[in-house]
Amino acid sequence: MASLSSSSVFLKIPTSKSNRFALTNPRSVPNHSLPKTPKLVSGTRRIPSRINASIFSAKQASTDPRPTKVQEMYVYEINERDRASPAYLRLSQKEVNSLGDLVPFTNKVYHGNLQKRLGITTGICVLIQHVEEKGGDRYEAIYSFYFGDYGHISVQGPYLTYEDSYLAVTGGSGVFEGVYGQVKLQQIIFPFKLFYTFYLKGIPDLPKELLGAPVPPSVSVEPIPAAKAAEPHAAVKNYTN
Amino acid sequence: MASLKASPLSLQSASSLSSLSQKSLLGSPLRIPTLAREPQKKSTAIAVSRTTKASLFSMKQAPKDSRPTKVQVMHVYEFNERDRRSPAYLRLSQKEVNSLGDLVPFTNKLYHGNLEKRIGITAGLCVLIQHVPERGGDRYEAAYSFYFGDYGHISVQGPYLTYEESYLAVTGGSGVFEGVYGKVKLQQIVYPFKIFYTFYLRGIPDIPRELLGAPVPPSPVVQPTPAAMAAEPQAAIRNYTK
Repeated sequence: MASLSSSSVFLKIPTSKSNRFALTNPRSVPNHSLPKTPKLVSGTRRIPSRINASIFSAKQASTDPRPTKVQEMYVYEINERDRASPAYLRLSQKEVNSLGDLVPFTNKVYHGNLQKRLGITTGICVLIQHVEEKGGDRYEAIYSFYFGDYGHISVQGPYLTYEDSYLAVTGGSGVFEGVYGQVKLQQIIFPFKLFYTFYLKGIPDLPKELLGAPVPPSVSVEPIPAAKAAEPHAAVKNYTN
Repeated sequence: MASLKASPLSLQSASSLSSLSQKSLLGSPLRIPTLAREPQKKSTAIAVSRTTKASLFSMKQAPKDSRPTKVQVMHVYEFNERDRRSPAYLRLSQKEVNSLGDLVPFTNKLYHGNLEKRIGITAGLCVLIQHVPERGGDRYEAAYSFYFGDYGHISVQGPYLTYEESYLAVTGGSGVFEGVYGKVKLQQIVYPFKIFYTFYLRGIPDIPRELLGAPVPPSPVVQPTPAAMAAEPQAAIRNYTK
């Protein structure tokens, strides 16, 4: 069985050279033991009907079914090459990246200000097609962002190695339970550094620890050493690892 | 559907990839994010619950700034024209019969329900769950997306049964579909080449007219117009997904 650690150095996608992996034993699916919170969304929704005599509009409260204001949150996803990720499964058995290739992956997640370690991403990229004229690939990505004790956010959508894209926020748990919206994915250094802008709706105000102005994305950005070392003051509580 | 032989998948071990990592280290230059598709912050910072000042009537509609609950119906056709090397049936179960372990990534073309415009593609994964001999077909768990060019995308998840129609969950979207929820009905017309979908979408502003309209009723002989199949400019939406 080939050692996958030396081969899995990329964030998500290596260049399309021949890199083949011995697949003698089927890979067992990792058990993330996600707490499955039931979604509130169903066919019909209860509408609050309130009658009061105030001249002022009632402030948005958590009693409203799903707040619609947008909350922005920024994170960096960085492949530090220490999680044996990605695992490029060239199941198409073709030289060029082709439908059939699957790329499970997991990377580290940092606060947008690069001062705190938040957790990890985990999921799978399904290679859809190689896009010759753009020198890259289209993937369908299904994965989650883990924020330690705060919970997680799940996303689904396009990952294009050659341009930015928007993925759908499909749901979450913990403080993100009931979340919806979209997230913008920007590649900074393919495939090691990605910058995400979440546009989140449907949840109460996010904890302050997760908010704040990000370090603007650039090629040279790095988490501060304390965050990389996940020192207690530079990481959220029980940051996912 | 193309299927790999039942022989074990033996892929040679990786040769040194350190050279590859060097090659892709300096990848795409820094991209300043464009604002072209920034979501409109149409909802105010503080969403207001409707308050009725003096009316005797209770609210029937959702409060103005909360998520729209009205259903919008949209129809699309998914065609496998056998020119996208799809599907890729990965017989990882290594059994002769379709079995748990088999994975089926796929991507097909997407057309307007009226079959006059090319819209984009579908892309995603079917996970074979079980073969259902008494129905002569299979159950899959499907997770995939529908791409609508510049309009955005819709992601879905749920059952794909080769022997009967099913409803999948609409899990979310982007662009004009940002924040969408609801369900979609999947009807197979010609397995596995032609599928007709009826989306029941909620939670989004009115869908652009270009995507709406009465569909061609599903039947085994339906085909997109030649102009749509050729994706001629008047028969395709803007920057239709390829």
